[in-house]
Amino acid sequence: MLRFEKRDKTPVRLRVLVPICSVLLGLFVGSVVMLFARVNPLRVYEAVVKGAFGSAYTFSETLVIAVPLILISAGLCLVYRMKFFNIGAKGQYIMGAICGSYLALFGPATMPRPLLLTLMMVLGTVGGALWAIIPALLKAYWNVNEVIATLLLNYIASYILWYLMYGTWRDQRSHGFPLSKSFALNAQLPRILPAPSRLHIGLFFGLAAAGIVWIIIRKTRFGYEGRVLGENERAARYAGINVFKTIIIAAAISGGLAGLAGIAHTSAVLRILQLEINSDYGYTAIIAAWLAGLDPLVAVGVSVLLAALEAGGYQIQIVMRVPFGIVGVIESAILFCLLAGEIVTHYRISLTRRLTA
Amino acid sequence: MEGQEQLMLVMNNITKRFPGIVANNHVNFALRKGEIHALLGENGAGKSTLMNVLDGIYYPDEGEIVIEGNRVDLRSPLDSMKHGIGMIHQHFMLVDSLSVIENVILGLESQGFYIDKKSVAGRIKAIATKYNFRVDPYAKIWQLSVGEQQRVEIIKTLFKGARILILDEPTSVLTPQESEELFGILREMKSEGKSIIFISHKLGEVMSVSDRVTVLRKGRLMGTVDTASITERELAKMMIGRDVLFRLERGDIEQGREILRVEEAQTYNDRGIMALDKLSIVVHGGEIMGVAGVAGNGQVELAECITGLRHLVGGHITVEGIDVTNATPCTLVSVGVNYIPADRLGVGLVPNLSTVENAMLRKYKQKPMRRGTFIDYGAACAYADGLIEKFDIAVPLKNAPVKVLSGGNMQKLLLAREIDENPRLLIAEHPTRGLDVGATEFVRKTLLEQRDHGVAVLLISEDLDEILMVADRIAVMYEGRIVGIVDAHHADIAQIGLMMAGAVGAKT
Repeated sequence: MLRFEKRDKTPVRLRVLVPICSVLLGLFVGSVVMLFARVNPLRVYEAVVKGAFGSAYTFSETLVIAVPLILISAGLCLVYRMKFFNIGAKGQYIMGAICGSYLALFGPATMPRPLLLTLMMVLGTVGGALWAIIPALLKAYWNVNEVIATLLLNYIASYILWYLMYGTWRDQRSHGFPLSKSFALNAQLPRILPAPSRLHIGLFFGLAAAGIVWIIIRKTRFGYEGRVLGENERAARYAGINVFKTIIIAAAISGGLAGLAGIAHTSAVLRILQLEINSDYGYTAIIAAWLAGLDPLVAVGVSVLLAALEAGGYQIQIVMRVPFGIVGVIESAILFCLLAGEIVTHYRISLTRRLTA
Repeated sequence: MEGQEQLMLVMNNITKRFPGIVANNHVNFALRKGEIHALLGENGAGKSTLMNVLDGIYYPDEGEIVIEGNRVDLRSPLDSMKHGIGMIHQHFMLVDSLSVIENVILGLESQGFYIDKKSVAGRIKAIATKYNFRVDPYAKIWQLSVGEQQRVEIIKTLFKGARILILDEPTSVLTPQESEELFGILREMKSEGKSIIFISHKLGEVMSVSDRVTVLRKGRLMGTVDTASITERELAKMMIGRDVLFRLERGDIEQGREILRVEEAQTYNDRGIMALDKLSIVVHGGEIMGVAGVAGNGQVELAECITGLRHLVGGHITVEGIDVTNATPCTLVSVGVNYIPADRLGVGLVPNLSTVENAMLRKYKQKPMRRGTFIDYGAACAYADGLIEKFDIAVPLKNAPVKVLSGGNMQKLLLAREIDENPRLLIAEHPTRGLDVGATEFVRKTLLEQRDHGVAVLLISEDLDEILMVADRIAVMYEGRIVGIVDAHHADIAQIGLMMAGAVGAKT
């Protein structure tokens, strides 16, 4: 019979070993599924690794995906610690992209590039932040569940984007496709490697955001208040912490970073506003934040790994003619194993024998 | 040696380990047929663990359980029920929104798809009449008083055919009179041949109700004795391992200025029911005002209103003449109101944060910890060290979550943090609940010290003995009102008990 006992402390050894073993186990589970699909798992994994890290170019493409994940998950690490379960990063990302793109599409064409880009990034951040403040206010004043509010706001943001793309923002020369006109050069966020790499300076935004959020959580009064609030709201109120203010600021930071991710990705990578702007990064980043144990620095690494799976996934689809769905299978198998691994890190599991006389 | 035939239950050599602690260390326990057997020990002595083993909630690491001569393997409360064991927990396992009938049949396997409420109601009434009490089978649980709810728990176990009843600190939620009634029921059951295990740390009731006593200390068996052959003092020594102070030294009152004035306070509880009904009370500096009452008569809400955690819908509260009606907790702290909440880990401390992070909660906004937007964690650490040393708090690791501390040390930390604010008014809500004797003495002495420094102390407690020992005046609460205030030095327990039950009005 299996028995679980909660551990007082998790040994460091386990904290390193368990995730590694979990990933390996996840890969194994994924292999079983692939065998059923009659593909050689070893070759698939090889292709994934090649597709993600095989060359400087593929690695830079992995980082292109990692950048928005890093930005969004940093903000999520902050709000989740305050038990504000923002799952609306997708909507905040879209609103950021829309707000920032407004300047790119309709702003003064002659504005100098650094100024225009700065304004675009600021506007994108503000757009995402406002989109996150709405559910925070709803929660603060009417105790509306933020999970539902943020989730529904995702749909609203999506449909606003649809409305614009099929409406006034559609390029006259797009032959009816829902595309904006391409961003002019001075509205394109600079890329940092030679073509064809699309890696852009958003990477530095991401690293800076992760570092700053880490400092906020660990070193500032605001971060301390947030942690007290997240762990015990009654204690926080009794200690005189302004619960509303803290939640609203944290939500704004989280939404702002998602908005920044949206406009940075749109401006640097896509260079056009369209229906598909990879806003599902808003969901992937949730996974990144939790897997990182809500530590924004760890989340950087996790984001790169999740991005690698995604980038490698495109590769196997192209090279091996394997459906992209296989990537989903691998991803979820790894996630399941990581979550199961949590039990091992938090509980001591032992086999008990029946009582003997 | 006892004859095997009269033994109902034997627990041999029970050992149960938890991470870092042996909760039961080779404990032997024997229960006779038709006896009331008290299980006595301090908090953390392993009483509840031992009984949870018997109830199938925990599985022992070593040892065996024998019921009426047969070895049994108890892996769940259901197993235990099948062997005739029923446990009445300190926190009742009842569903508030369901009726008595529905609660009684909850989890009964013998019930078919269709529930014959009428016959169940009849059987409930039959059980109740047998033990001389009354209960309405159709009443919803939330409509019943705590004492009545406890009887529903008893009926529930009897209904399931229990022959061994375990009661975990059953009197902690009862008035003295209700306790007497409970003892009557227990004696009746005993005469029916049922065996009763009575967990307690109150010596008085153990002496009055039990036939035999088993004493545990720090997970070990100290012995089993006939109640008739031992004195209260000897039992206390067995339980604690040293002589105990039954009285605390305290000086005479020097009643100071008026500190707290509550006038006609009205508020609702979480369910939206009137919890304070135009309550008025005045507390002076240099006195301890004890607030006695059965749980759920508005004591919690009173404390929350004074500390700014709950809104008043009517009335006024002033502290040293300053109107603090519906002020924020922050303002209240600034006028010198500090609070030792009943729910240490729910209100006072943040369980997953470290000792340092908990210690600094009242000071982090001030120099030297405040450094612009940042916090100087070095200064915070030094501050925590100061508190730890001054109050002799046992902290294994300053950066480990505070929840790993023992109850006594958590309370010391909380007390240290609040007293360090130099309060004018200290509100202590069940400050010794769940603490061992050493920590209890420490907390009570600290409260008396604060009183001697001229602080006004409002002590809310369900433990009448504690209030009698520490308080100068006793206010009795019933249904959101103060029904009377008596001088602790000339207090009559029976009188207070009647007031707690709402039977008697104000008396000066």
